[in-house]
Amino acid sequence: MDEEPERAKRWEGGYERTWEVLKEDESGSLKATVEDILFQAKRKRVFESHGQVRLGMMRHLYVVIDSSRTMEDQDLKPNRLTSTLKLMEFFVEEYFDQNPIIGNVLLFEINTFFYICFDAGNPKKHVAALKKAVGSTCLGEPSLYNALNIAMQTLKHMPGHTSREILIIFSSLTTCDPANIYELIKTLKELKIRVSVIGLSAEVRVCTILTRETGGSYNVILDESHFKELLMLHVKPPPASSSSECSLIRMGFPQHIIASVSDQDAKPSFSMSHLESVDEGPGLTLGGYYCPQCRAKYTELPVECKVCGLTLVSAPHLARSFHHLFPLDAFQESPLEEHTGDRFCQACQGELKDKSVFTCPACSSVFCTECDLFIHDTLHCCPACIHTQGAS
Amino acid sequence: MLELKRTLDAKGHGVLEMPSGTGKTISLLSLIVAYQKAYPLEVTKLIYCSRTVPEIEKVVEELRKLMEFYTKETGEKNNFLALALSSRKNLCIHPEVSSLRFGKEVDGKCHSLTASYIRAQHHSNPSQPVCRFYEEFDAVGRQVPIPSGIYNLDDLKDFGRKKGWCPYYLARYSILHANIVVYSYHYLLDPKIADLVSKELAKKSVVVFDEAHNIDNVCIDSMSVNITRRTLDRCQTNVDTLQNTIQRIKETDAAKLREEYRRLVEGLKEANVARETDIYLSNPVLPDEVLQEAIPGSIRTAEHFVGFLKRFLEYLKARLRIHHVVQESSPQFLKDIYEKVCIDRKPLRFCAERLRSLLRTLEIADIADFSPITLISHFATLVSTYSKGFTIIIEPFEDKTPTIANPVLHFSCMDPSIAIKPVFERFQSVVITSGTLSPLDIYPRILDFRPVTMASFTMTLARTCLCPLIVGRGNDQVAMSSKFETREDFAVIRNYGNLLLEMSAIVPDGIVAFFTSYVYMENIVASWYEQGILENIQRNKLIFIETPDAAETSMALEKYQEACENGRGAILLSVARGKVSEGIDFVHHFGRAVIMFGVPYVYTQSRILKARLEYLRDQFQIRENDFLTFDAMRHAAQCVGRAIRGKTDYGLMIFADKRYARADKRGKLPRWIQEHISDGSLNLTIDETVQLSKHFLRQMAQPFRRVRPAPFFTRFS
Repeated sequence: MDEEPERAKRWEGGYERTWEVLKEDESGSLKATVEDILFQAKRKRVFESHGQVRLGMMRHLYVVIDSSRTMEDQDLKPNRLTSTLKLMEFFVEEYFDQNPIIGNVLLFEINTFFYICFDAGNPKKHVAALKKAVGSTCLGEPSLYNALNIAMQTLKHMPGHTSREILIIFSSLTTCDPANIYELIKTLKELKIRVSVIGLSAEVRVCTILTRETGGSYNVILDESHFKELLMLHVKPPPASSSSECSLIRMGFPQHIIASVSDQDAKPSFSMSHLESVDEGPGLTLGGYYCPQCRAKYTELPVECKVCGLTLVSAPHLARSFHHLFPLDAFQESPLEEHTGDRFCQACQGELKDKSVFTCPACSSVFCTECDLFIHDTLHCCPACIHTQGAS
Repeated sequence: MLELKRTLDAKGHGVLEMPSGTGKTISLLSLIVAYQKAYPLEVTKLIYCSRTVPEIEKVVEELRKLMEFYTKETGEKNNFLALALSSRKNLCIHPEVSSLRFGKEVDGKCHSLTASYIRAQHHSNPSQPVCRFYEEFDAVGRQVPIPSGIYNLDDLKDFGRKKGWCPYYLARYSILHANIVVYSYHYLLDPKIADLVSKELAKKSVVVFDEAHNIDNVCIDSMSVNITRRTLDRCQTNVDTLQNTIQRIKETDAAKLREEYRRLVEGLKEANVARETDIYLSNPVLPDEVLQEAIPGSIRTAEHFVGFLKRFLEYLKARLRIHHVVQESSPQFLKDIYEKVCIDRKPLRFCAERLRSLLRTLEIADIADFSPITLISHFATLVSTYSKGFTIIIEPFEDKTPTIANPVLHFSCMDPSIAIKPVFERFQSVVITSGTLSPLDIYPRILDFRPVTMASFTMTLARTCLCPLIVGRGNDQVAMSSKFETREDFAVIRNYGNLLLEMSAIVPDGIVAFFTSYVYMENIVASWYEQGILENIQRNKLIFIETPDAAETSMALEKYQEACENGRGAILLSVARGKVSEGIDFVHHFGRAVIMFGVPYVYTQSRILKARLEYLRDQFQIRENDFLTFDAMRHAAQCVGRAIRGKTDYGLMIFADKRYARADKRGKLPRWIQEHISDGSLNLTIDETVQLSKHFLRQMAQPFRRVRPAPFFTRFS
């Protein structure tokens, strides 16, 4: 973000009691608490192992962002809206990274809910749209009913084997509805649409009921980092409900073909996905992915073929989704003093300095905090285990 | 538990303060029931007194759970009989009678169907209608005791329907041998009803007064009489009717009157015999001396008595024809009445008893019509019996409307111990309990008893789910207070408005705001409207207002709950000491924050209150200011306590008055609130309040994990 709006002056913000978090230790030093806070921040991510659960891998997720008056509130810096949108950018990228098989993110605004519509597949566009929304003014009262209703209208038509989800970032504490929202909740429940809410200010009764009825989660943020964490919880696919149908899906694995410039027959052509969006340059390229069924050309994967409707993915995409099904077990945490082996992290070979070390239950290798996070968040497999497998 | 056991062991009385929603009822019940099982001879009966019908029902449900638990754990069915008792209105199953809407009508109608002479007439003349349920009950119901079990009001009705017995009389009869009785505390405190219902209850009972923070006022109300000109006019009609009936009966059935006369000459010996054997709960309206004497000759015959009543009535009328306020004690009043109309003290004392006898003799079916004359007769008896603890105030007009003459005679009791004394004397243990009884030592003083235990318990909370904040200043540093001198101050009103506005923006769902009085609320709301604050608030939440009208209020309450339920959010503006502050709970989202605007002092200019304060000072050495503060703080605590009804619940408690920060006010709040007031939450500005509340609400919105089941209470030392 280049044109980040000027940060609000500290004195313009609210009254805070930052000093209350800090506590002196016996010698009167603050060092211990500060270190503890930092450490806690690192380790905050909770590992919730699903075990062997069927997950809904094909996700249709609507993200609804409140943009009523309350989004101007400055308790998140610089204000709730900007902060939310920034985190959303991060979320979108992460979301597509972790759920590469067809995803559908929609942001929208109705009666002051954002309403930015995309087609599937490309995180870049979403990010661009999000950037555009920054700085827009927030006015009026939100209507949960209208937002849910519109999201429902679209999600209704999604095939039964995909998950239908709505994620609402709800900042306001009130909703002005044109009709009885409980009727709508009933309909949502029948349609098996899972609604989750992240509240930015406090627990609102109607959201509690909404999420409980539809099987979603309801969380209220504490601060920005907690907000980010809560968002990241939604990156992981939710367990599929047993009632959702399962079906086999035809997928195409197109190869990337680049015609050499020297080839006389090669003609630059348009990507099918660029046909609709005009603003993204010429789009004439030589190479691309060709649909194995109809030979339509695409520059990016994953995508649904515009011509024959085949889902086009690449093998690494599938592999990336795979790890959700078989998540890496959480490593055992133990204090450093009790650790007897060598004092070096298996991954980065750095000296173990943190208070606790992490041991892989399979190969009993030791890792430092940083590497533990990296392994679980990004690698999704234990490097030491793979090493031993490769050797044998 | 320990404290309660100690009380029971010592066969004494106790005062226990326990925050609501922590299992107060169930822990009381379980211990006393266990005690009853262990020492069936020591404690024969538990009398559980609560305030309202829903509360009674709740107690019965808890009891049912307890009994189920017993059966499950011990594997044997225990033969406990527990039942709830309420008025005829709630228990009647007679198709015609039960359709009536007002309690008085039901009582009257019931009486006209079940009175003994009506039934006697029915024998000779079968066309005379009687209540078949009562007949059936009277025929067989008394021989067969009701099977053991737990009966709430509906169960009783069902049982009654099945057997064809009247549930009301069945319940009234069954409480004599029931192990546990749950009813309203009027049945024990109000001398008029207690005499009918509770007088035969065994001495070895344990009495529990739940929600008893207002018990002194209930006592006082039950002994006080207000007489207006309207009452007197209706009395006049009553007296006329009486006279006519007497005339008629004299012509047709003179023997009956003679029979009555004979009975009166014999005196109230029967009643006296009963009292000596100490079976009955003594009736404070009917003092001992009365029983030992016969009805004085001057009012023994019916005509003389009616003439006497007429004279008394005329005297009262004359007294009401005044233009200035008169306050006098009972002896003064008696002296005056003797001088003016030559009514002696003695016949006055027998007035109530004599009237009852007369009504019985005259076979007047509809007792309800005669309530004014009964009231007057009670007044006569009370005024002549007690020379201390009562005062008579005659006001020619109301304070609000000094131009409209509306004379009222207040005969007000100033000593709550008079009404409750027989209860303390008669029953082995009396336990007074409520969520807000602080400061504890004042109750024994004003009720004049010596408790074995006094304890205040605090909650053990899995998390700090209450957040009391004392807001003393606005953002402009102007002190906020509902003090009389500053309450009209523009800045104070504006700051109150800003506080509500800010809170409405950050508190989800429901907010309940309490004002000190209706008048003050009207003023403030009007000026908020002018300043446009109301409009701003309405963008966040809808606003509902409590009014003195019960129907309007319940409508507002219903809509308020609806608005909370579907996410629009709402604010209920109500009045401390009003209906909302006393009986209604705002669980979970119905009350996420309670704001108390000002300190709810009583209207100190009221003459009744002044007289009472004076009495308290003279008799119990309680300073006026102490009592006023105590009274104000218990109401404030009662108001804010509405929001927290259990461990999973959470709520903000905002005291918007800088006077709350003072030690004398703060020290009078219940322990469980006081504990959470840190020095950091005193005298905040609106901004600081908003920040703290935001933080608190976010903390509370995090998923609530039950760490481990906490013990019931911990003793606060």
